Amino acid sequence: MSIFTRFLGRLGASLIVLIGVSMLIFFIARIIPGDPARIALGPRATEAQVEQMRETLNLNEPIIVQYSLFVGDLMRGDLGISLYSNRPVMTDLVEYLPATLELVLLAGLMMVMLGLPLGAISARHCGQWPDNLVRVISLLAVSAPAFVWAVGLVLVFAYFTPLFPITGRISDTLDVERLTGFMLIDTLAAGRFDAFASALHHLILPAFALALSGIGQAARLTRSNMIATYEQPAIEMAQAYGFSEARIARRYAFKPSLIPSLTIIGLDFAALLGNAFLVEVIFAWPGLSRYGVGVILQKDLNAIVGTVLIISATFLVTNLIVDFLVSILNPRIRYSESSR
Amino acid sequence: MTQPINTDHSLGSREDWVMFNQGQGFLMTLDTKTTLLGTTLLALTLAAAPVAAERILRADEVAVGEIDPAKGTDYADTVLAINLYDTLVYPKQGGSGVQPHLASEWTIDGSTYTFTLRDDVTFNSGNPLTAADVVYSFERMIALAQGNSSLFAGVVESVEATADHTVVFTLAEPFAPFLATLVRMPVVDMATVQANEVDGDWASTWMSQNSAGSGPYIITSHDPQTETVLAYETDYFLEPVEGYPETVRFRYGLEPSTVRALMSQGEHDISSQWLPPEVYAGLAEDGATLVTEAGLTGEYFKLNTQRAPLDDVHCRRALAYAFDYATMAQLTQINDDTSTGTPMSGAIPQGLPGYDASLPVFAQDMALAQEELALCAYDPAEYPLEVAFIAETPARERGALMMQAIYSTLGFDVEIVRTPWALLTEQVTAPPTAPHVVEIAIAAASPDTDSLLYTMYHSSQPPTWISSSYYANPELDALLDEGRVETDEAVRQEIYAQANAILAQEVPDIFAYELLSPFAVRDGVTYHNLADPARSYPVSGFNMRFADISLPDAN
Repeated sequence: MSIFTRFLGRLGASLIVLIGVSMLIFFIARIIPGDPARIALGPRATEAQVEQMRETLNLNEPIIVQYSLFVGDLMRGDLGISLYSNRPVMTDLVEYLPATLELVLLAGLMMVMLGLPLGAISARHCGQWPDNLVRVISLLAVSAPAFVWAVGLVLVFAYFTPLFPITGRISDTLDVERLTGFMLIDTLAAGRFDAFASALHHLILPAFALALSGIGQAARLTRSNMIATYEQPAIEMAQAYGFSEARIARRYAFKPSLIPSLTIIGLDFAALLGNAFLVEVIFAWPGLSRYGVGVILQKDLNAIVGTVLIISATFLVTNLIVDFLVSILNPRIRYSESSR
Repeated sequence: MTQPINTDHSLGSREDWVMFNQGQGFLMTLDTKTTLLGTTLLALTLAAAPVAAERILRADEVAVGEIDPAKGTDYADTVLAINLYDTLVYPKQGGSGVQPHLASEWTIDGSTYTFTLRDDVTFNSGNPLTAADVVYSFERMIALAQGNSSLFAGVVESVEATADHTVVFTLAEPFAPFLATLVRMPVVDMATVQANEVDGDWASTWMSQNSAGSGPYIITSHDPQTETVLAYETDYFLEPVEGYPETVRFRYGLEPSTVRALMSQGEHDISSQWLPPEVYAGLAEDGATLVTEAGLTGEYFKLNTQRAPLDDVHCRRALAYAFDYATMAQLTQINDDTSTGTPMSGAIPQGLPGYDASLPVFAQDMALAQEELALCAYDPAEYPLEVAFIAETPARERGALMMQAIYSTLGFDVEIVRTPWALLTEQVTAPPTAPHVVEIAIAAASPDTDSLLYTMYHSSQPPTWISSSYYANPELDALLDEGRVETDEAVRQEIYAQANAILAQEVPDIFAYELLSPFAVRDGVTYHNLADPARSYPVSGFNMRFADISLPDAN
């Protein structure tokens, strides 16, 4: 079975999962307490106005009919109007998703770039002071949720030592045309390096707050996997050959330990989409996670379904990529799947 | 107008920024051996420094902001509406009732209201504001059937532009609060709106992203969950105050910790009214000024009169007498100088017809509470009380805890329920199972008592959180109906005073305190309408006219 065929198979399975998620969230959203029409119109609205809104939203139709209408609209790329923002849900998703993805991508990058090296250093110096230091730091990082770190970082780097901005994606005084919604890309595309620097400056603190727990997790995993790898006969053999410690660590201990770490980082990365909510709130980050919670509290049915579908799709795509990377790193996985 | 100010997360001086921005080699003077990290950080630091040179006001409110005046209902929407649009009349500054605004004068003949419009008002588009725009705005609001349209539903029979600057409203039947209700009917630019209509949608989608008004500000950009940016319209027909903001960044949903950090850095000017008391106190210690807005808002503990034991008036009175108003007042105290509440003497807040300043404020009397409890048909031990507070406003738990402590001495078993807002709005639609007590703030929609009492207590109202005491009393209904048609203000005053007396006796709610919404104002910024009672407007949200706020020349 070729990689392409396997990829197509996974893609098909992901689509089935997505359809299942759409049905599930469509029905669950309607079970959440509260009349969306009444919430949207407020307590002073007359019964006639509420009824009119319910008709507009098709809420008086049987739920199966509502779902079929939803699927029909979805096929046309129409997710309806959000009662939360009074805009098309698709417009909201297109506007807010890139902000969250940009935040999560940088957080994921930090997890890889900081977490893995820290774990490797810790394992290589097992029992020594660098190991102890990394273990304490990583334990601290995983023991508190992202929003606690976010508040702490705001306190340290904005309140006591004003080094970083704490709201928005770019300086108020800079204006960059939106192309992709990814501020780093748009600023570069516009050739605005000042704006790029500002966007990066705004991104660092929220991304670091979001990534900290994952960095700790990645460091701890990498450390334990590398230590386990060090106990393998292959390492003894490499030492017997007289290879340098650095070479052994880099080539024979680190690479095998990457596989479980990468799987976990992949899952963590997808979970960041959901966990980003409080970080987005604290840093006034105009992202999808914050939007998602807002629409749930307002029982904005169209927006709830749209948001969950997008997050699910991102989760599935991330898993596809991670599976693909793992199969490249570990030929045994590739071959075992091929032989089935 | 072009004083340089620090508008951003400033880490370097303006001079640093100018050097960097103009490429005068500031970075080039650094040792080329400087580490990449150091260079990058320095560049980032300088890149984030400010370039703007205008007066910018930064304020915030809870999410989300709606800029279509036909859809908005809450505080943020009101603030946006009064700054983007104008209304025929405006709440009266320093008093009660209304004052001329777009309408320079009006006559009332039974059910016919004839308004003469100012002839010097133009929309931001340059189109003159005429009576046809008023007619269109009204029709649009009713057709969309959202926002404040319910205040007018069934009230108006016809609206007609009888001349370029004369508009006549004919009511279906006499409705005394009509004039006051017009503060909730912003006028839109008919030509601009019609030009953006799609399939007869009254430009509904377009108007949620753009403004088409005559107000002092226009929309520069709008993101309903993040920020609305507004720019001052220099042709506005009223004069702004000295140092008015040229640009306003109205932010949504900022966390208290974020607001505190921003204000400490001088990057935020006016807080929302929803911060925890300790944050206001901290901001005041950091140098901010605390001001409060009365806004015709009461903090009510709604008692479910359809559910035992509170369907017995004696039980309700027992709870009202036992309520510790003094402790409640302490709980509303932010610091020695500022409180978020003032005692009430009835259901009607100060500034509304029917409010009687001579009545004593409520006070705890446990002896009377025990007497009333003895008359109650129910045994408290057999009827546990469910006291709900809105989960999104955790500070309200203190009031619920206080009730739990006091009412347990009367023999009630009190269960405190932390209820999310969406769930609460659902629960209150079913009186038999709705919580016994719900703590909630309710504001008058207009500077008229009718807009508060009718929706709260008239038996014809649907069950919502506003009417969640479900009180039904034909005598009170008759008074409230009479108040709607009586046009003599002195008589209306008497009618609502009688209604107030009935409510104090029948206790459908515990009238805990009149809410004073607090705002932290950065040092150097003057929020004139709240700093001086003579300049304040009586309706919640109507004080935040950005053109009435002074900023320092450089901040």
